[in-house]
Amino acid sequence: MLRNSFTKWLWDNRRSVLGWAAALAGVGGMYAAFWPSIDNPEMREALENYPEAVLQALNFDEIATAAGYLNASVYGLVVGLLIIVYATSAGTRIIAGDEGSGTLDLVLAHPVSRSRLAMERFSALLVSLVLISVALLLVILALTGPARLEGISLGDLAAMHLHLFLFAALFGSVAFAVGAATGRRGVAIGTAAGVAVFGFAANGILSGIEGLGWIEDFSPFQWLNGGSPLANGVQAAHVSIMTALIFVLTSVGVWGFSRRDIGV
Amino acid sequence: MTETAIRTEGLVKDYGRVRGLDGLDLEVRTGEVYGFLGPNGAGKTTTIRILFDLIRPNAGSVMVLGLDPRTDGIELRRRIGYLADDFVVDGRQTPRELLTYLANLRGGISPVVIDELAQRLDLDLTRRIGALSRGNRQKVGVVQAFMHQPELFILDEPTSGLDPFLQQEFSVMVRQAVSEGRTVFMSSHVMGEVQRVADRVGIIRGGRLTTVEGVHQLRDRAQRRIEIVFNGKVTAEEFSAIPGVSDVQVDGKVLTCRLDGSADALVKTLARHEVVILNAEEPDLEELFFDYYDRGGSR
Repeated sequence: MLRNSFTKWLWDNRRSVLGWAAALAGVGGMYAAFWPSIDNPEMREALENYPEAVLQALNFDEIATAAGYLNASVYGLVVGLLIIVYATSAGTRIIAGDEGSGTLDLVLAHPVSRSRLAMERFSALLVSLVLISVALLLVILALTGPARLEGISLGDLAAMHLHLFLFAALFGSVAFAVGAATGRRGVAIGTAAGVAVFGFAANGILSGIEGLGWIEDFSPFQWLNGGSPLANGVQAAHVSIMTALIFVLTSVGVWGFSRRDIGV
Repeated sequence: MTETAIRTEGLVKDYGRVRGLDGLDLEVRTGEVYGFLGPNGAGKTTTIRILFDLIRPNAGSVMVLGLDPRTDGIELRRRIGYLADDFVVDGRQTPRELLTYLANLRGGISPVVIDELAQRLDLDLTRRIGALSRGNRQKVGVVQAFMHQPELFILDEPTSGLDPFLQQEFSVMVRQAVSEGRTVFMSSHVMGEVQRVADRVGIIRGGRLTTVEGVHQLRDRAQRRIEIVFNGKVTAEEFSAIPGVSDVQVDGKVLTCRLDGSADALVKTLARHEVVILNAEEPDLEELFFDYYDRGGSR
């Protein structure tokens, strides 16, 4: 596990990755397990009394099916937000965090190129996101029977998790790129948090405003579960946008990192 | 192998409005121990960070082991050992984990070498680094700097965190490396730290090299504090006029002064008196060092 910077990163972050995988799978599974208690006439009636705008802001407008419920309250809300926290903090640590604690100098005084170090660590972050997504996938799969999550195919569930992985990788790459290019932890976290807040608002609240409906097309949350991958499979356009952005962001981050001075 | 291990010409580094280096010309010869001295903030660490391509100069040229750190950094860093004043790493790993990883980054280092160095320094490789004392953490740094037997050591205030026993052992390791033809470039703000091991000393101040001299020449030219006890009263005036003598103070039969350079004129004046005790202190290079700072400041 100590052969290179890729495996070293995974080894160093093993507790964090396992902890987050367990937490996300646990919380996601718990929310998914609430489905039978929501899937009843009383709850439907109660929800129908909510104003349309509130339901839309909370992603509750398609809550009538298991897929709609999971989409809205599990992936679109609790899991989505939690995985942003993990991806942002891990992405920031890759360069800016290491630099801020003064521990980056030592590695860079060795015969490694900056771009290689950054790419190996970022690849390790992607692997950790795969592990976390798969952990949740397995839990949801195990709950299909007990939580009566009918009508969701394995293919669509896998599609949802592909979206989730890319969504998390996108936030990871924002934090990584800004941190690598600037060396500043606060700026990296702030930027990723700003994107998250904008994305969340654009998807739920802003798009409900007359004439602002188009804005949700620019929200990562829309790319995460818009078009409901759980019901309709992979959304090619969203997957493409996220993949392209991840690629561009990491390239810019590595380029900026290779050109600048390392902070003391 | 080139004659010059490190050469910089007209090195300039600006940090925003602050000038870190202001035209630094440095020459470190292959096989010598070079003490790079200066007060904090003089530009020592800036220079070292440029040698490793951690930061890039605004102007000037750098060659290390005949290579340009900017373009041949990977090949170059393979051949250098680096130790910073405070060895900070993620404390959740053990020294063995860290050193194995660093050895793998370099490639071709036997685990036996790590064990031997650790044993020599009495370092426990299995305890978490976070639980180690500062001195023990610094030992981890010493091991990683020496384990690949580099041609050139670049040491930034290396012994500041080491206890006296380790400073001693470290000096032995440095001397041994030099006897094998390796070069050592060592920065410090404390003269005593380099006094033991350095062949030549360069003094940096305000981002420029102000003096380069052999340690022995520095000592020869140093000011000494002299104390003389006479068998009778003397006056300060008689001694103040002597070339090289300054700071003369007379208290009854006891005279103290500072002597700069040759003692000849002083001795000849003393010959006219009956001298009971003559006491000349060996110059502390520390004091000498501050003396250079002062002169640099008044220039």
